Amino acid sequence: MAKIYDYLDERLSLSDLKKFGEKKTVPNHKQSFWYYWGGISLLCFLIQLMTGVLLIIYYKPGPDAYNSVRALTYDVDFGWLIRSAHSWAATIFLVSVFVHMFSVYFMKAYRKPREFGWWSGMVLLILGLLFGFSGYLLPMDQLSFVATKVGLAIPENIPLIGHGIANLMRGGMEVSDVTVQRFFAWHAVVLPLLYIPLLVFHLWLVQKHGNAIPPSEEDVPVLERKNIPFFPNFLMKDLAMWLVTLNVIALFASIFPQDIGKVADPLGPAPVGIHPEWYFMSSFETLKLIGKVIPGTIGEAVGITVFTLGLVLWVLIPFYDVKSLAGLRAKRATYFGLLCLGVLIVTTILGYVTV
Amino acid sequence: MNYPIWEVHGIGLPWVVGIIAIFHVMISQFAVGGGLYLAVAERKAMKEGRKDWFPLLERHSKFFLILTGVYGTVSGVGIWFAIGLIQPEATSTLIYNFVFGWAIEWVFFLVELTSAIVYYYTWNRIPQALHLKVGWLYAAASVCTLVIINGILSFMLTPGATWLGAAGTGHESSYFWNAFFNPTYWPSLALRSLVCVSLAGVWALVSFSRLDVDEFGASRTQLIRWSTTWLAPAFILMPFMFVWYAAMVPASNKHLLELGMASIGSGSFTQVTRIALMSVMSTATIAGVAYLFAYKYPRDFSPSHATAILVLALAATGSTEYAREAIRKPFVIGSHMYSNSVRVRDVAHLNQVGYLTDSMWAPSGLDATQLDRGRAMFRGECMSCHTVDGYRSMRHFLEGRDFKSIGNILKMLHDYKPDSTYHNFMPPLVGTDEEILALQNYLLTLNATNAPGSVAHR
Repeated sequence: MAKIYDYLDERLSLSDLKKFGEKKTVPNHKQSFWYYWGGISLLCFLIQLMTGVLLIIYYKPGPDAYNSVRALTYDVDFGWLIRSAHSWAATIFLVSVFVHMFSVYFMKAYRKPREFGWWSGMVLLILGLLFGFSGYLLPMDQLSFVATKVGLAIPENIPLIGHGIANLMRGGMEVSDVTVQRFFAWHAVVLPLLYIPLLVFHLWLVQKHGNAIPPSEEDVPVLERKNIPFFPNFLMKDLAMWLVTLNVIALFASIFPQDIGKVADPLGPAPVGIHPEWYFMSSFETLKLIGKVIPGTIGEAVGITVFTLGLVLWVLIPFYDVKSLAGLRAKRATYFGLLCLGVLIVTTILGYVTV
Repeated sequence: MNYPIWEVHGIGLPWVVGIIAIFHVMISQFAVGGGLYLAVAERKAMKEGRKDWFPLLERHSKFFLILTGVYGTVSGVGIWFAIGLIQPEATSTLIYNFVFGWAIEWVFFLVELTSAIVYYYTWNRIPQALHLKVGWLYAAASVCTLVIINGILSFMLTPGATWLGAAGTGHESSYFWNAFFNPTYWPSLALRSLVCVSLAGVWALVSFSRLDVDEFGASRTQLIRWSTTWLAPAFILMPFMFVWYAAMVPASNKHLLELGMASIGSGSFTQVTRIALMSVMSTATIAGVAYLFAYKYPRDFSPSHATAILVLALAATGSTEYAREAIRKPFVIGSHMYSNSVRVRDVAHLNQVGYLTDSMWAPSGLDATQLDRGRAMFRGECMSCHTVDGYRSMRHFLEGRDFKSIGNILKMLHDYKPDSTYHNFMPPLVGTDEEILALQNYLLTLNATNAPGSVAHR
């Protein structure tokens, strides 16, 4: 083993990497738990990448989409497991991304010099949601068909350009085989091409600036702050967290494997109790609520505008909450974060209750 | 149908017991292993002169007392209530056979609870050697409770040929010891003992992770590392004990697992197998995570790490208990009583005279319609496992099926041929032709595609 290490070390300078890892430190405090969520998101993404490649081997976009997923689920050995792992990893990916985003927000980790980490993270989140949306249609069963139809109503409501965007995504006026083909191109080619380089950039920024400490830790004198070496201490813990995550994904995939419904029928009725996936439930419910107060197209336009405005404010928070002596802006930013988190949770629950 | 049926929508009846039992097992097995842990830890501290361990063990014994004494006992009573409501026939059989077993167990409970309270409140108040004796008394009493309850639990899977030979004669309780020391008693006891020891380690990790590193420094680190070693016996010996256990389980009970293994690739009939494999995977993950979190870096070990291990332990316990319950199917008491409370020996009689005939809960009189009788059949024979809309939803299973198709399934369950796949995990459908027709009509109304009122006649 030592000989192999020496061989590789001479050629790849592994010891330099090790020294670097040992020198690099990670803050250790009561809120250190939140540092794992970025790593969990990364693991889930890697699982989706690997299982996605395996699914592509059997998946046929276009008119055969449904039958290929059906065969994949029931005929191909372990196809059910790979498909279920892909789907559950996606769910846990988005959960961990949301937790990561809010933990970064409340730790004020968007402040100088980490602004680009925040912005690249936001784009990664949006791309992650688009991954979810585009992947959902691919089995082309009745549920995914109707859900996509309903989901495309959101961009359709954007004033002026909405209709064009929705048509471009659908490949026509209605969700059809062409839409599946387009969504597959987005899901398996375009989005990964955008996502992976941005992810590398995001990780590089994390490595460059290190982990931020929460405001409560900032009051602790620098000499009294605790740190642990990235290698091996934090890395081992990160790996342990990956093991836990892998276990959770396997547990869900085994106990609640993905089924497939009836083939999509454009003339058929929508399945009973249909609703968007949980990560779109909040936006769906918010639009519904605004639509009740202001009915009609105006209401839809107002809804989209409010939503877009909220998102813009969220993205631009590093410009507002710069560290100041008074700390007033920091407090307001925290309240804004709590408001957003509250709205997200309440509207999601409300969405499920009122379905 | 001697008892009223309790309807639970959504999660269904099995999960009422399941949820209470999984959490109860997590705590009650900690109560057994944790007692041993405290006594061994105190002895080690005395022998090696580690006085700094005592304050930490005192805190741990408080955590132990509250968790096991409050939640453990309350959830134990909860199981009694739940099984009495959900499987009254089976509970009645168990009480009839094991009433003295439970009486003995309750004596041990009293000793256990009393000694746990004395143990905590006498830290630094009585001589250390005497305090340790109280600890050993607790440990012995709690192990005895496992020794007793294990006989009753393992009986439900494998009552044994002697007891089964006496079943129905009225002399079943004369074969108490045969039923108690049934074929799976010893491997089950060995497996549960290992789980108890490892859960003692897991809960100790939870307890010590909460202590402040600066205040308790070295002793906290030593105890965290030592607690991790309590997980080792289980991980080394569990596979061997499992093989022993599997060897003692009758072939008919293993059939479902084997069928699952044979069809694991396609994923059909694999739910039990998948969950059994999850139990193995979760257990292995606990070993890896405990090593990486606690043993390697005990100083950095935090409550969130301990929670992660606890969640995995819950997953392992849950999946193991689920698999253990599932391989008992189609019986609730192996080869004696089906999961729908029908005794094996009563099947022919009920087919002849009717399932509802002698039931005081069946709808009768002029107002009772065929659908009422069909619903009574559903409640009595299906609802111990199925719900209408929730867990194992009957509406979902029947989706798209017409009157004839439903009739075919019911006929298959009624004929109950040995080569039928359903024979491995579903009880037979008993009753007269009229009763089965009533059930068929009732089930037809659950199918969303059939309009209400479309009741057909044979």
